[in-house]
Parts: sequence; structure tokens; C-alpha cells
Amino acid sequence: MSMRVISAIARADFLERVRRHSFYFTLGFSGLLASAVYTQQIVLRLGDYRGIYNSAWFGALMALISTLFLSLAGFYVVRNSIQRDEQTNVGGILAATTLGKSSYTYGKALSNFLVLLSQVAVLAASAVLMQLMRGDHTLDFWPLFSPFLLAALPVMVLVAGLAVVFEAVPLLRTAFGNAVYFFLWMGLLSASITLPRVDLFCLGSYMRSMQAALIQVHSSYRPGFTFQIGVGEAQQQFEWNGVHWTSMMVLIRLVWVASALLLPALAAFCFNRFDPASQPRTVNHRPASEFSIAARNSPTAKPVPLHSLPSRPKPTSFLRLTIPQLRLMLTSASRWWYLVAIGLFVATLATPPTVSRNILSFAWLWPLSIWSQMGTREYRYFVFPLIFTSANMSRAYVPAVWLSGFIVAVAAGCGTAVRLLQAGDAHGLLSWVAGACFIPSLALALGVLTSTGTAFEAVYIVWWYLGVLSHVPYLDFTSSPPHSVVPYIYFLLSAIFAAIAYVRRQFQLETS
Amino acid sequence: MHLWIDRVGKRYKNGLWGLKNFSLEVQPGVLGLLGPNGAGKSTLMNILSTITKPTEGTIKWNGIDIVRAPDTLRAVLGYLPQNFGVYPNLNAVEFLQYLASVKGLDKQSARKRIDELLTVVNLTEARIQPLGTFSGGMRQRVGIAQALLNDPQILIVDEPTAGLDPEERIRFRNLLTDLSSKRIVILSSHIVSDVESVAIAIAVISNGSLVRHASPEQLLREVEGNVWRCVVSSAELAGLKSAYRVTATMQRTDGVHVRLVSDSPPPGATPLPPTLEDAYLYLLSLHKKSNAA
Repeated sequence: MSMRVISAIARADFLERVRRHSFYFTLGFSGLLASAVYTQQIVLRLGDYRGIYNSAWFGALMALISTLFLSLAGFYVVRNSIQRDEQTNVGGILAATTLGKSSYTYGKALSNFLVLLSQVAVLAASAVLMQLMRGDHTLDFWPLFSPFLLAALPVMVLVAGLAVVFEAVPLLRTAFGNAVYFFLWMGLLSASITLPRVDLFCLGSYMRSMQAALIQVHSSYRPGFTFQIGVGEAQQQFEWNGVHWTSMMVLIRLVWVASALLLPALAAFCFNRFDPASQPRTVNHRPASEFSIAARNSPTAKPVPLHSLPSRPKPTSFLRLTIPQLRLMLTSASRWWYLVAIGLFVATLATPPTVSRNILSFAWLWPLSIWSQMGTREYRYFVFPLIFTSANMSRAYVPAVWLSGFIVAVAAGCGTAVRLLQAGDAHGLLSWVAGACFIPSLALALGVLTSTGTAFEAVYIVWWYLGVLSHVPYLDFTSSPPHSVVPYIYFLLSAIFAAIAYVRRQFQLETS
Repeated sequence: MHLWIDRVGKRYKNGLWGLKNFSLEVQPGVLGLLGPNGAGKSTLMNILSTITKPTEGTIKWNGIDIVRAPDTLRAVLGYLPQNFGVYPNLNAVEFLQYLASVKGLDKQSARKRIDELLTVVNLTEARIQPLGTFSGGMRQRVGIAQALLNDPQILIVDEPTAGLDPEERIRFRNLLTDLSSKRIVILSSHIVSDVESVAIAIAVISNGSLVRHASPEQLLREVEGNVWRCVVSSAELAGLKSAYRVTATMQRTDGVHVRLVSDSPPPGATPLPPTLEDAYLYLLSLHKKSNAA
């Protein structure tokens, strides 16, 4: 394993990534998080208290947002470095060289880390800007940046390594891997608060430090430490000057980093090094059939007559295109995927509406890998020259893909719709329809804009976690309180996203 | 059935022209498109297949401007790009069924057509194998089949024989000849012999402009009397190559047998009947000289 090779792999991979449009969406996501903090859409509250705007507060706030959000969304963003080499056929070239598996996986992990680091850097820069624009005190270097260095970066090293492992292990490359990572992340999040020695996200450390500072000056404070969205900043303030990093705390961070550094080695162990033998055997390897032997021995190779079509085909409409699109989407799913989907469907149908709604959360997470193909499949498999040279495709294709995605959402969640209908919950049903429209619209828009499924996977997982699972107001697209305007907002968002996808695809075709 | 390309140009974002002031009138039959790498063949193919729009000029299909109304051409177009992908988890039938829907074929016609096409491209046996397991040649044959799905009136094929074995190449050439009787076929290839065997007209492109548009016979006549063979030693070969346009060399016991095109023969050279490759290379060398002048 050579450092020169590792850095060469990382450099090439990183440059390839940053020169793609999708990278700007990645940075934009960090910018969006920062702007949500600045506009007090995302706030950190300790009951009715918040820290005064000093460097320690802004540094901790933005670093914790890095560890929480980027550890989830960032994973889905970077989990495609080996896949890219396969798709571009660079993998085949690399496989024919003396490149070692470890050098490769460490190089890819380093590139993943650099991408995540760039996202963290956006949040760190935002912390500086916020402190300068809204801060009560002058800029203090260590309190501002130490949370990024000691809390955020070890998490990013771990996520970068895990992303390579999840690509190298065949089973984890699938939608199953997406689900596994999500539950792993949930487990680590929970452990971070309850088990100080396993505090990967530093949530527990910051919570305890802030609570200790607060209780000293406000004895009436009742424990509470939450990131909240859309509820506004707490009115009362307290002074907090940062976490006192003990040697034990630093040691725990170093242990995390050391563990993370072992992950690419584990990935190397599982990595097939682009060996085609790990793929299904090709037809060519089978003995030639009687038919093909006859054809090969034919000295003249006379053409078989090809008759004309009885009538000229008419340009296809988007409705006629929807079924083939849907079939295409569903072909990629395995039997296990269907088994789980059926299980979720039965569960939504067999439980009371309130429980059914909770199960719907997972029923609308399960087809993530299917929706993430929307607007990207034709680029991923390079079939767009075959599709977009057909009549009416510039108009019919996007609506057909959208409708296919909508049908998937309806099929996955129809058990809940039936239960809501039976309960006569018209508003609940309206929310359900809005959610079913919103998911394919978001998937299609992000797919067409970035040409990859990772942007949707990252955004959707975070949105789903905050809205559907944590019920953050306005972010839950599956249900809303009675008489709420939320369903109408999601109808509007759906229309906007679908329009963006349509217009962007038209623009791509016009300017190609 | 008439395709008219009038003073078409394509300027890329970097300011370079991929095609400049290109005019051509195409009638039914096979038009062979020949040119060196970077000559502008792929740019022309992309424009004709409506994937990209020209920066200037017009292209009319039966009198209708295809830049303004691309669907007019797309409805009757079969296109086999040089580079294309397939969905690896679908088999040949499913993939062709999908593209048949895209091209507007009804279910029954599509089924019949796909059966027929799979026989034509010799993939009947592999029809239910996932495309991800196909060899390059088999994938190329799927590409040929999809281009013919809608019984196109204009067929554009870019390097169609890439990856095909000699047997399949002959089969494809025969198919093209058969198809070209009642439609326009535009065939771009680096392999002159592929073009030679089927084309009734040849367009030679270089540096983004049309060098010559003529029948193969006309091209051969133009180079007649300018193709020579001479035998030299290995040491003399380099000198000969710098002075003449050498089109082929062959090592023999008496020295190196050199085939070259030139207005004036080297000493001791004997005349040879020309091939289309000689004509093509001769034209390119003339074009290069005139550009340099």
C-alpha cells in the first residue's frame, strides 16, 4: 500500500466529483442547512433557553448539525465512488494494473472524506459568518473551530470509511444496505446521548456541558436538549463557553478515528476488484447451440427477410409509455424487496389508521432505490440516445416517469389509504395523496437536475427523518393536523418540482 | 423521401466548429460517411438524429425543417449510435418491448416485429438472457434491432459493425443492402470495406467540411492511374513514406511491397487498380495539401 497511489486515487476521484454539477447541489445542501440556522428555522433549545451568540455557541451548533445531518445525508452522497468506476469502465482498466485492493479502498475513502470535509467547511465558514453578523462577542478561534475538529471530523472519517464498506460488500450495495445504514445511524444516535463512551456524534458531551453551565445560573431549568425546526429561537439566554475537552474525551475521539481507519481495510477484504467472474456468467461462455453453429458455418450469411410494418407507428403518448416505465422501475427490485413491500402493505391494511400511518412511514421509505432511478436511469445506462431520438419523447417521457413513480407510491401506501377511507378521514386522505404526489416529484426533479440518484436519496432520507419520523411541523408529507394547509403546500411543491423536472429536461434536450 | 442538409454548422461551447458550412442532399440508398477521427462525422450524425441542434443552417426532411419540428423526423428515424447502453437487468425481448413502446408500436405489432428482428440479428437463442450478460457483439446486435423497430424510413448507423465478428458483419451488410432499396441509410464507419460493399454514394468529411460527395465509381475513377506498387528495402521505406502517401505495406522475401497513391510514381513503380481506400486517402491528402496552401 503506497501513500502516493492512495493520494492519486483520491485526487482523481475527488476531481471527477467536484467537476460534476451534482457536487454543487451537495454544497448547496450544506448552504441550505446553514441558511436554515441563520433564519432560525433550525434551532438548538435547552427548554426555554439558548446560548448567547458567542463563538462557542455557533461553533457547537454548526458542528453538531454537521455530525447529525451530514453523517446521514453525506453517506448517501458519497456512497458511489466504486460504482462510478464500474459505470465509466475505469474499473476494468484499474483491475489490469498492479493496484492493490487496500490502496484502492483507502484512496476512495480519502476522496469520500474530502467531499464530506468540503461540506463541513461550508458549515464552518457559515459559523464564522454568523458569529460576525449576529454574534455578541468577538471571534474566538478555539471555541469556534474545536467542535469541527474534534466532533465533526472524526464522524466524517467514519462515514467515509463506512461508505466504502457499504460499496464493497455486495449485499450492502443494495436498497437493503440503505436501510441497514439508516438503522445503524439511528442506533449510534441513540447511543450518543445515553452512552458517554460511545458518543460518536458528541451530542451527549455537548448536552451535559451546556446543561451544567445553564443549571449553575438558572436553577429553574428543567433538562431538555433538542434540535427543533420551525419553532423559533428560545427567548431566555445563558452563557456557555464551550466544552472542556478532557484527555479521555479526546482519546475516545481518537479511538473512533482509529476504528474508522480500519474500515477501508475491511472493504478491501470484501472488494471483488472489478472481477467479472463475480458477475453472472456471460452467454458467450456457454457452448454454442446447434442454431448458432449453423449460422457460423453458413458461408454466405444470407439475411433473413425483414418485412415492413403494416402501418406506421404513431408517436407514443405519456400514458402508453407509463406501463413500460413502471415495469422498468420494478424490474430492478429483488424478490426480497417485494416480500418486504408486501409485508408493509399487509401491515398498513391490517392495523388501525393511527398505527397504519406509522407503518406508512416505512412503506414510503422502502421504495427509495426505485424512486432514486427517476430521471437518472437513462443517463446511468446511457440509453438516452435511443430514447430521445424517438418522436414525442421530449414531451411524454418526464410525465410518464412521474406517473410511474406516483403509482409506486400509491401501491406502497394504499393500505393506509384504505384505512383512512374506512375511517372517513378526508383530511388524512388528502395528506396521503399530497405525499404520494410529492415523493415522485422530488425524486424526478433531483434526478433530472443532478443525473444521479444520490441527491434524492440524501435529501429524502433527511426530510423523511425530520418530517415523517420526528414530525417536525411542515416537513411531514404523510400526515398533518386537521384543517392544516400542509397538504396544499405539498401539492404546490409537487407541481413546482415536476415543472422543474420537465423544464430542465427540455433544456437539456434543447442545448445538448 | 428526401433529406436536404443546407449550410449546416455546429459550434461547440469552447468556440470550436465541429461542422462548418456543410451541405448535402441525400436520396434513398446507402450513403457512406467517411472521414478521419475528429472530422465531424459524429457531430453530423448527432445533428441528423436530432440529438443536438446545429448552430447554423437548415436540415429538411421531405421539405420540413427538422430543427423546428424534430418529431417529424423522429417518427421515421432508426438510430444506432456509436456508444449506447442497455438496461442490464432486462433481457433482449423486454428491452426491445420497452423501446417499441417508446417508438409508438402497439403491443401486437411490437411482439411480431421483435421476433422477426431477433431472428434477423441472430439473437433468437439469447432472447431471454439478461442484457448484462451479453458480449459486445451481441449488445451491438440488440442496438441494430432497436434501430429497425419502427421500420424507419431513414436509418442512421454510426460504426455499426464495431464488435461484430466477420460472419455477423457480412450478415449486417446484407441486411443494409436489403433495407436501402426503399429508405435512406446513412452509414458512418472507419472501415472503408464496410462502406464500399453497400454504399451507392460516399461523402468524405475532413475538418468539419465536406470534401467530396460522389458515387464509389466516380471516386475510383478520380484516383485511377495514381495508385502504385513498388518494392523497397526496409531501410528505404521511411524515405518513401515521407515523400508519398503510403496506403499499405507488406513484408516479403524480396523486400517491402509498398502500395501508395501519388500523381507521379516513384522510380520502378508499377500501376495498380485503385480501391476505395486508395481513393479516400488520396482525397484526404489533396484536401490536406489545399488547406496547407
